[in-house]
Amino acid sequence: MRRVAFNRPALNRVVLNTAALGVLAVSVFPVYWMVITAFKPTVDILTETPAFWPARPTLDHFATAVNAAGFWTFWRNSLAVTVSAVLLALAVALPSAFAVARLRWSGRRGFILMVFVAQTAPWSALLVPVYIIARDADMLDRLPTLTLVYFVTTLPFTIVTLRGFIAGVPRELEEAALMDGCGRAEAFRRVVLPLLAPGLMSTSLFGFITAWNEFAFANALMIKDQGDRTLPIWLSGFSNVFGTDWGATMAAATLFMLPVLLVFLVLQRRVSAGMIAGAVKG
Amino acid sequence: MARTLARTAARPAPLIGAGTRRKGTFWPYLLVAPALAGFACLLVYPLARSVVISFQHFRLGELIRGGAGFAGLANYAEALGGPEFWGVVRRTFLWTAANVVLIMVISTAVALMLPRLGRRMRLAVMSGMVLTWATPVLAATTIFQWLFQSRLGVVNWLLAGLGFDSFRDYTWFAHGGATFAILVALVVWQSVPFAALTLYAGLTTIPGELYEAARIDGAGSWQVFGRVTFPILRPLFGLITSLEVIWVFTCFAQIWAISKGGPGGATATLPVYAFQIAQSLHRYDLGSAVSTLTVLMLLAVLVVHLRRMFREENA
Amino acid sequence: MRYRLLATAAAFSLALAGCGSASEPGTSGETGTTTLTVWFMRDSLSDAIVQRFTDDFQRSHPGIALNVQIQEWDGIGQKVTSALASKDAPDVIEVGNTQVAEYAASGGVRDLTAKIADLGGSDWLPGLAEPGKIDGRQYGIPWYAANRVVIYNKDLFAKAGVTTPPKTRDEWIDVTTKLNKGGVQGIYLPGQNWYTLAGFVWDEGGDLAVKDGTGWKGVLDTPQALAGMAFYQRLQALGKGPKDSDEARPPQADVFGKGDIAQIISAPGGAVAIEKANPDLKGRLGFFPIPGKTADKPGAVFTGGSDLIIPEASAHPDEAYEVVKALAGEKFQLDMAKEMSYVPNRTSYAGVLSGDEATAAMAAGAAVGHATPNSPNWAAVEAKNVIKEYMTKVLTGGDAATEAKAASEVITTILNTAS
Repeated sequence: MRRVAFNRPALNRVVLNTAALGVLAVSVFPVYWMVITAFKPTVDILTETPAFWPARPTLDHFATAVNAAGFWTFWRNSLAVTVSAVLLALAVALPSAFAVARLRWSGRRGFILMVFVAQTAPWSALLVPVYIIARDADMLDRLPTLTLVYFVTTLPFTIVTLRGFIAGVPRELEEAALMDGCGRAEAFRRVVLPLLAPGLMSTSLFGFITAWNEFAFANALMIKDQGDRTLPIWLSGFSNVFGTDWGATMAAATLFMLPVLLVFLVLQRRVSAGMIAGAVKG
Repeated sequence: MARTLARTAARPAPLIGAGTRRKGTFWPYLLVAPALAGFACLLVYPLARSVVISFQHFRLGELIRGGAGFAGLANYAEALGGPEFWGVVRRTFLWTAANVVLIMVISTAVALMLPRLGRRMRLAVMSGMVLTWATPVLAATTIFQWLFQSRLGVVNWLLAGLGFDSFRDYTWFAHGGATFAILVALVVWQSVPFAALTLYAGLTTIPGELYEAARIDGAGSWQVFGRVTFPILRPLFGLITSLEVIWVFTCFAQIWAISKGGPGGATATLPVYAFQIAQSLHRYDLGSAVSTLTVLMLLAVLVVHLRRMFREENA
Repeated sequence: MRYRLLATAAAFSLALAGCGSASEPGTSGETGTTTLTVWFMRDSLSDAIVQRFTDDFQRSHPGIALNVQIQEWDGIGQKVTSALASKDAPDVIEVGNTQVAEYAASGGVRDLTAKIADLGGSDWLPGLAEPGKIDGRQYGIPWYAANRVVIYNKDLFAKAGVTTPPKTRDEWIDVTTKLNKGGVQGIYLPGQNWYTLAGFVWDEGGDLAVKDGTGWKGVLDTPQALAGMAFYQRLQALGKGPKDSDEARPPQADVFGKGDIAQIISAPGGAVAIEKANPDLKGRLGFFPIPGKTADKPGAVFTGGSDLIIPEASAHPDEAYEVVKALAGEKFQLDMAKEMSYVPNRTSYAGVLSGDEATAAMAAGAAVGHATPNSPNWAAVEAKNVIKEYMTKVLTGGDAATEAKAASEVITTILNTAS
């Protein structure tokens, strides 16, 4: 029996840790740079030698960002549209995912195939048809229209992911509950749903990020009503004809990112487990 | 639990009620009805409208006044006939290949590295990656524009400092190749976390004994990967690759935010090109034709994976 | 507990979504008050002047309330298209003069030919009026213009011994050559500033595109246009402007602010940006009109600016016309010209600009201003950056005649796309 020699384990350790630090740096640096730029006074930003730590931190840029007209309206709108789109997607995807994962019916294969193909939809190209449909239905300048668009954009991925999670819950747990006298729905609620939490969290995060960022539809479908604008419109307002106010732009981007981070941090442990275990079965 | 879930990737789970029950067979259809309704109204209908527009003469006038005339295959002929379209197609395939290869290679490397790290280092790296994944696209494009700014960007400062004087005040966004490279970097940066963490989860489901056995048989690291790791991970690998192919092929927001397809069309992929035609040139008919062709092309690329998926599902 | 959280979130967000669309456009609660929606672009007007106008107009027109909305530049094309194609459009929209032809030809804009006399249209700036006219019908009403002048660094001029600004092209080249030494750039001229190139082409008697029968023809390859490009190349070489970029990347005001550049070509508003980038340059900036071929006529310039349109889908076209009339009228034009340093829409108002060096220089140029070809498809030529790429190719060593011919052919194709 031959023994495999581990050459120079100490060096391996060093190489590994260096690589790990490299990955960490590359992941984190851009975000770090954005945040410290937001705190630097403009004079310090427009200098040729970048400073890696703000010597004289200031809140001026955040003030500029917050004082943009309609700031709180934008936040309210983005939150409303995003949260309702995510909830709607979960509510619709869960029963479908359950039907595909647990039940047997003709057309099941066709359905899951259709859902997968739906991910290839060219949304940027559907802007004009959606506009026409919304116009003819008198749904322009109404926030729920955006909710519906974001809902259907995230639906395919949500169904596919939740299906993977449900398929992974051991059959025996459900059958034990059935044997205890629960109906199907109750067994699902008591047994499967709690175990789905990571999956629900990770698909929520995905849906949140998708809806939170969307610009083209928000720009084209919300026309006359100033009260209907969302945050991406606000973010685009910091560059003007003569150049970009980088400090204010970075401050705005930092604020823009906070809710996503907050949602993630709150769900943190479950999201990690969720992302790890989810989207496993196509 | 992560292991249980990941293990099911290898084999589809058996279904409840296989074959026997007649009563309540309408349940599945009821459960998928909302999703079907959503898709029908909000996806299939607009898509159908788009295809119809691609067969019409549809410009700004028709959008405002209505009354679009039938144009037959004229738009498709125009799209397929011009050399510009095929340049965009080539560029889209190059874009997709470059991104997907980089994403999968880097993700695999990171996923392989993670189990070998100490616990705290592993947690730090994973947290960093999740931070990246949670960065909204618009914030990320803004950051990257700032990083690569010609006079004040950190990248130029770093490169000039390392001795590459040609990068002093280099206007990245005025050059096609440079802008393309930045966009690839951005998309790879944002996509690796999801792929790496999912692959890592898959790795954790592989029983340690298999590794032991391979090493005892004298396999070196590469052989272990080839004979143990990869075969078990293959379905997961295939799924992630196909998802990334779709997402990269249809990627629009990042490219539009940074370069709008420029400079000189150097970053115009099919989705960006279709949007340009429709919105900047107001040629909605030609734009719809290009989008329809895009979807067909993407489906053609995925057909192998789709067929395999269909076959692997229990009937 | 999980469900309660879920339910609360759902109720909360639905309530918010409902609130978002609660405000109603159109008429307000009081009977008889019509609310008009007016769209201005970001940075077009200062808040002060908008407030003055709104107060003034509402006072003199009881029963009309103005809802002024400021639009962002990003995505404005889609936004205006959406507005024109909708069933309930804003009542007055500010549109750039290079975009107005396209909207005018679409059928979504009200025809105001009958009102030209009422609006004082006899001496409108051609650069604003021509693009707003399609087939002899006037759709876009000239609002304001701005054109380029040369902004120079007074200290660097003095140091090089230049006492008076150049008045002819030859003088200009001489002066710039004198300035272009010892670490100082004579002029910072990016390679893709096609507006400036257009001015040089027009000075030579050429053009970017001309009407050819019922269609259009790109004419960058005529001897006159090539002469304009040749002059651009000579001037551009007297500095370190990037050959493959335009004046926004990097923002040339920031670059000028470094203090080692003698001249840039910019609208006078650029001075504000320069002073912001480098407060030390406040008061050290001078202006002169772009020199022409002879001393009696300044160089031709591209007239940039905005027109006002009234969408067909507006619910209150008569009231909207009152707003347009007020905005294009003398009181507002003079106020705006003084406050914003713009060129007013009628040549008879231009006297208001003579007080300030910057605006006087601009007004001198405005008198010989040109607009881009008023084809509805011109916006598409700009969107594809045809001219910018042509310039870079020539400046980086390409053969001017060949490149010009190729670019002209592309322009011809785009302009002749049936609409």
